[in-house]
Amino acid sequence: MGIKYTIQGLLIYAAIGAYLAAFVVALPGWRKVGHLLYVFGFVIGCVAFGYRWYSVRHVPMQNLFEVFLCMGVIIYPVSLFCRQRLRVGGRCADMLIGAIVLFPAGFVFSARPQQLPPALQSWLFAPHVAVYVLSYVFMAKAAFQAVSQLASTSADPDENLLGPEEATYRMIRAGFPLLTLGLVLGSCWGKLAWGDYWGWDPKELWSLASWLVYVGYFHFRYMFGKKHARINSAWAIGGMVVIVVTLLWVNLSRLFSGLHSYAT
Amino acid sequence: MNRFRRAVMWVGLTLIILLILASVYGAFLGAARAKEFFNSLPSAYYWLSLALMLAAGIAVFRRLARVPALGLIHLGCILILGGSMWGSNGGHRLQKKILGIDKIPEGQMVIFEGASENRVALKNEALIKELPFRIKLNDFRMEYYKPEYLHVETHQGHSWKIPVEINAEYSLGPDFGTVTIVRAFENFKMTIDGDERTVIDDPRPGYNPALEIQMKDPKGDIATEYVFERSGGHVHPEDKFLLSYHRTVRDYVSELQVIENGEVVAEKNIEVNHPLYFGGYHFYQHSYDDQAHQYTVLNVVSDTGLNLVYAGYLMLCAGVFRHLWLREFKFGTRKKRSE
Repeated sequence: MGIKYTIQGLLIYAAIGAYLAAFVVALPGWRKVGHLLYVFGFVIGCVAFGYRWYSVRHVPMQNLFEVFLCMGVIIYPVSLFCRQRLRVGGRCADMLIGAIVLFPAGFVFSARPQQLPPALQSWLFAPHVAVYVLSYVFMAKAAFQAVSQLASTSADPDENLLGPEEATYRMIRAGFPLLTLGLVLGSCWGKLAWGDYWGWDPKELWSLASWLVYVGYFHFRYMFGKKHARINSAWAIGGMVVIVVTLLWVNLSRLFSGLHSYAT
Repeated sequence: MNRFRRAVMWVGLTLIILLILASVYGAFLGAARAKEFFNSLPSAYYWLSLALMLAAGIAVFRRLARVPALGLIHLGCILILGGSMWGSNGGHRLQKKILGIDKIPEGQMVIFEGASENRVALKNEALIKELPFRIKLNDFRMEYYKPEYLHVETHQGHSWKIPVEINAEYSLGPDFGTVTIVRAFENFKMTIDGDERTVIDDPRPGYNPALEIQMKDPKGDIATEYVFERSGGHVHPEDKFLLSYHRTVRDYVSELQVIENGEVVAEKNIEVNHPLYFGGYHFYQHSYDDQAHQYTVLNVVSDTGLNLVYAGYLMLCAGVFRHLWLREFKFGTRKKRSE
């Protein structure tokens, strides 16, 4: 853990600051100012991501620093898309999620540029990681809605927006195809690079577990609908917990050494 | 939902939960033991039950037939399970027994430069089998990112990362002088005859990358030193600098030819992510001779069941996107919000 006294670091801190300011301002009701700050944070995030891309000369999704930076950037378009197209609110929470995911990029993970090892030099590298990152953001939003449902509060009092249970379902509907595509692309890539489309590596197994939790969610919800809304929410939160393990614990813990260990 | 269908759903959900638990358990085992665990006999029964359950689901729930996307998802999963079971070691044994097809499931072959080989050492078995064709290795090479770097450090903690550029003088500042890289070697050899030392880049087999550098101190005294990639960081107590030579591997390349009945029938330079496909097998760059770069080690993998798995992936993705995305976007919010 340390402060990054670099242009890259300063850009990340500025984006974190803008997201936090947006959250603080929007929470009591100054939504327009909050939104402007949110957009400002997103623009700085884009600059930070572009700067990183220029520095390392490849799509910056190689390690946890770059993945978290990417998540901190795409949170805004996802948030906008969800509100406009899917009637799912939680913009204030998204601002906070943006700051939270940028925090490890700013303070925890090393930003030392790395050249791509041979296995990562594939056309599947960018789409595989990008769809996973996108799906994780949708699932994080789903988990937030599920927590709101359990807490019996609405994330956003806007009448046009869906209630937490329905919003959780809609977020998982949006994220699950991406999660599936990420798993399939990873499998195809594994076949090309290592010869196995499934290598039983810890990261692969945790990814499978997270995918299966959402499969379980769909089946359970199909069986009972909204009758056991709290259990539906528990599935969604459980899925997010497994995703966090997949993304962080597998790469950071010595318990799970495997083919994906380079992604730290 | 009637009781029978509900029971089918419960069994399906139980199987899903079991697989979640097994995946988490497998993650703690590590890849090798997890592979054993998921290929064991009880697991085989589980996979078979899951495939049958998916088939039962399609038969019992009319919705899966009525909504094509849902049907695709479940059928895709069956194909993935079927294809992977058919391509497993057990599947290969079954094919040999029933269909008389004797393919190598997975193994490795070592090929020296200029030689051809058709023997494959089977993975997890002390057996050697032969392919019906030969693979010839014309050349194996490693490629590196440019520029390569010479690292210079002092005992006081100063450090420099110097790009390898022949005859370019690099200043270390007024207190430390300059460094000039005079020559780069792929296979450094030194002969000593009395007081005379001769260094050459030996063209014979061998691998010993090194740099010849000249260090000029602030007084103008010049010392010649050799820095070796494979013994980086070696230093004597009297040395002023700690020197190391780093190269980052960009790729491993094996130039291969496939020879059948004495004729070259295919050629490919295989790299990581770019295997050779021939005769129902994929050939992957797996390892190499790290001492002299004289041979390559290829991973040989049978393609049995692979098309089924890929077809399953395609159906699963098509079904999931169709069912969860396209239908979702169709009922877009703009219309509802304007109501």
